[in-house]
Amino acid sequence: MLELKNIGVNFSGRDILKEVSITFHPGEIIGLVAPNGTGKSTLMNVIMNYLRPNSGKVLFNNELEYTSKKNEVKIHQLVSMMPDQSDLYNHLSGKQHLKIYSSMWNSNPELIERTIEDLGMASYVNKKTGTYSLGMRQRLCFAMQIVSDTQIMLMDEVMNGLDPTQVEIISQILVKKKAEGKTIIIASHLLENLEKYANRIFFVKNGKLDLIEDIYKDLGINGNLVIRVKEGTPELKEKLSQDFPELNIQLLSNSVTLIDFPKDDDGKLERISAFLSDHHEQEFSVGKMTLVDLYSKYYH
Amino acid sequence: MRAYFKFELIHFMTNKKNIAIYVILLFFACFYAIKIAPSFDPIEKVDKDEIEARFLTREDFLNNVVLDENTYPLTRFAAAIYPEWNEYDKQRLDALEQNDMKKYAESTFKWYEYSDSMIFRNGKGLLYYNPRYYTAGNLYATEDGHYAYMYSASRYKGYSEGNSDLSINVFEERTALQTLQRMLHGYLPLILLVSCILFTSDIVLKDKRNPTLIKGFPLSIWRRLLVKGGVALIGSILTIIPLLVGFIIIAIQSGVGDFQLPVPIFSYETRAFTSISMGSYLFQNALLILFWFLLLISMLLLVSIILRNEFANLVVGCIVVFAEFYYYVRGLGFVKDIQWYPSSYVQVGQILSGYREYLNNSTTLTLEYGLLVMSGYTVICLLITFIICNQRWFKLL
Repeated sequence: MLELKNIGVNFSGRDILKEVSITFHPGEIIGLVAPNGTGKSTLMNVIMNYLRPNSGKVLFNNELEYTSKKNEVKIHQLVSMMPDQSDLYNHLSGKQHLKIYSSMWNSNPELIERTIEDLGMASYVNKKTGTYSLGMRQRLCFAMQIVSDTQIMLMDEVMNGLDPTQVEIISQILVKKKAEGKTIIIASHLLENLEKYANRIFFVKNGKLDLIEDIYKDLGINGNLVIRVKEGTPELKEKLSQDFPELNIQLLSNSVTLIDFPKDDDGKLERISAFLSDHHEQEFSVGKMTLVDLYSKYYH
Repeated sequence: MRAYFKFELIHFMTNKKNIAIYVILLFFACFYAIKIAPSFDPIEKVDKDEIEARFLTREDFLNNVVLDENTYPLTRFAAAIYPEWNEYDKQRLDALEQNDMKKYAESTFKWYEYSDSMIFRNGKGLLYYNPRYYTAGNLYATEDGHYAYMYSASRYKGYSEGNSDLSINVFEERTALQTLQRMLHGYLPLILLVSCILFTSDIVLKDKRNPTLIKGFPLSIWRRLLVKGGVALIGSILTIIPLLVGFIIIAIQSGVGDFQLPVPIFSYETRAFTSISMGSYLFQNALLILFWFLLLISMLLLVSIILRNEFANLVVGCIVVFAEFYYYVRGLGFVKDIQWYPSSYVQVGQILSGYREYLNNSTTLTLEYGLLVMSGYTVICLLITFIICNQRWFKLL
């Protein structure tokens, strides 16, 4: 179990993390979502003790803290962070990288072959990483963390440079690891993918971690159901607001117009539908607000 | 820790810079063995013609000199000292004629002993050592000749008393082991120490190029540094391998030599030479060089975590190794306690042969002091490194 207690990080007078307190449990995948530079990586660096927070502490399994260098070694047995693909040793093969990570964490060596197979790396794993494409390097970095087999795994932009098939394979492995009781914290911009397998997703804003369920509630959106107009314009929003003043209508940064689903329908939905058809807006749908829309709305 | 050691060793051995150092050393070793070693022209060589010319000239003088009350004092002096001198030269010529190396060694030992006593004690301004000591600008030519003759006397005495196979190559110190001895007396220690600096200068800081890969390893900084130091030490010791190629080439050309061959050791305290076996001498060299490696590595690890700059490592390492060139003046040991400076021990072979004692007029530039100084500074560097590494605020990357 990983517990953050009142973590505060401040750079040049700017609060990157503000009094963050949260607990991550075994068998949980946590998604961290935010625009670049809002504190996701900072949070991971604090968990790894690469960065000392200005306030607060990180607690592992209710007992271990970064109070000494000895403890740091013990903690790093439990937690690992996925390496950056640009840091791979170009003169070593992928398999050598995997062996290094496996031996450093003294994990089961069989995991190497299993991971190579799971990730479909057999055809290139013995070649030097200098010859790898971005996607191959990214897969190797992920594989390295998997073979380290730590209890807590931190992954920053794990899906970068991967094609949809690979994203799916990695997602499956993550689900498997979750089932093994690992705590996995992922910072990602692939929101739809994250939404599929993450137990909890947090948006990071103003130094705080906000759970998306809480954000939905705070936004007061009716049961999260919205009418979603794919190609919205300020003019459309203006007209909708005039015709339906009682509805909450928002134009998001991704050009989607969200219309709060009417509580007391009494034919309102048909009227909205007719209105949109009249204004040549054929592509609209009714349903739960997507994470992408929420993200756009939240960081608007 | 074993896994990390393996990891660091792989990196060390695949590091292009390190491979380049080994290749350069191999090239130098081969070049030295093929081009330089065969053309080695010792001052104290076995030169039958020279001995014969000197013998005949003096013999002729002794046969024809007339000693009476009008004889010039220097002629009397020559007539007094040449008979014994010539006797030794005669014995040397006979020994060479008979190919009796043992006898040659015995008579040559006596010749050098007698020559030195005549030239240094009785013949100042009248008699001279081999003219090749009197080079332009050498203010200490007589002292150099004196040292060389004492050294040669001790060496030949050792040959005559020992059981080693003797040959002209042995007398002229051309065998592989003797060439190694000469090189240890010269620039070989410097080459080894500079190689050690080059191996160590980036062993910590190279990790800056791959931080996310390494930072999270479950190993303390202190242990990581120890492993890195161990790898640098092994790498430095492995410089023997390319140098061994040169050694083998010389051994093929001039013979290996013998670990029982005598190596003269000068003591400033007694102003005399004793001798130890080649095996002991090489072992002592290896020991002092090993302590040098330990000092340089521990010092560069410390500089790496403080200054975090590879160039700074090179500068600091080179200052320690080459500092003696800045402060060295012949006889300095008599007025200054240079035995406490590590850099005073950089000429490893010269320290162990006592030549540095002779040059510095010091009784303390010895192996024992060298080991004490090296280990003392090594412990200080490691202690400071340990303290810094265990500070909570300290980050390696």
